[in-house]
Amino acid sequence: MTAPLRNMLAFFCAMAVLGLSLSVQFKAQNSPDRELYQQRQENLIVMVKNLTEKRQRLGQEMSDLSSQLYDRRNAFEDESLTIKSLEQQLARLEIANGTRPITGQGLEIQFQATSAVQYTDLIVLINELWAAGAEAIAVGGYRLNANSYIFYSDSPEGRLISVNNSPVPLPLRVQAIGNAGSLERGLTLPGGFMDIMMYNKIYPTLRQKESLDLPAVTSPPLYYYLSAYTAPAPAAAATGQAKNATR
Amino acid sequence: MWWLIPVIGLALGIYSGQFLHIEIPAEMVKYLSIAIMAALDSVFGGIRSLYEKKFDGLMMMTGFFTNALLAAALAYIGDMLGVDLYYAAVFAFGVRLFSNLSMIRHYIISGLREKDRLYRLARQEKKAAAKPDLIKGEGDL
Repeated sequence: MTAPLRNMLAFFCAMAVLGLSLSVQFKAQNSPDRELYQQRQENLIVMVKNLTEKRQRLGQEMSDLSSQLYDRRNAFEDESLTIKSLEQQLARLEIANGTRPITGQGLEIQFQATSAVQYTDLIVLINELWAAGAEAIAVGGYRLNANSYIFYSDSPEGRLISVNNSPVPLPLRVQAIGNAGSLERGLTLPGGFMDIMMYNKIYPTLRQKESLDLPAVTSPPLYYYLSAYTAPAPAAAATGQAKNATR
Repeated sequence: MWWLIPVIGLALGIYSGQFLHIEIPAEMVKYLSIAIMAALDSVFGGIRSLYEKKFDGLMMMTGFFTNALLAAALAYIGDMLGVDLYYAAVFAFGVRLFSNLSMIRHYIISGLREKDRLYRLARQEKKAAAKPDLIKGEGDL
């Protein structure tokens, strides 16, 4: 190999190695991991300081958010309790209003098919049952509420007792939920309902039951004229009293 | 056209570097940079010696690798000792690099001027050879 060729070969190898080193260095320099190693000490100190401050700020923010979360959770539990209380109140109102089926111990009064019971007798019976502490009453499968009425209706079979304009044929069953003993005692008082029935030759049977199932009102009433009552303001009331006094 | 050979070598080296996926630790990048500076200094020293007609391939190759390794080692030892020898090496090799570059520039421009001068001389001689009668005519007067 001649000297010039040898020289050029050496040059070629050196330049190849240099090119390889340049390429590797360029790639390593532009990789994202290098950024911190390239920084000067002063810049790194400032970066550490900024990051520390940011961490403190984030810690404070986290603490605020944690306390907000705690407050919201408590409020949510309060809301849950409120909702529960409202649900219980709603259940009581529905029971009182007859719009919810209920079950409980009570008394069952059965009138035979051949008995000559009238609607007026039923009204007395129901009155006696309320007075004896009944909490809910159903007549012939129809639940009674504040708007219920008992009357009679004429049909080809004869005069029938009707509850809320629905005829209830005999045999008739009246169910009342309450203290069964109290209810029975209320009906069997001397001169009470049972005595009146026997006088009219009607012999209903009384049975105390551990569990009676009463259905809900079939068609709840709609109110068009009712509105909530609000008491007048005290100042207006006092002015009204003064005017009345001067007259 | 001798300069094409080193250029091809450089291109080949860069091309290989892109596809070989050689990765060096991030803390070593600084030392590789000073090694590259030392290598560049050797290369430019070699180019200068080519123009001076004193080029020795073995001298250039050994200088290339030893300078690179020594420069990187020096920077590493300096970091261990807490002395910024890295900057000393950058300064030293930077000065040598620009010195070699200025000499190379000088040789290139000198060479071009020499070529131009020789070219003009050749043209004049050619003109003189083409018109010999004019010179004879002056003697008659």
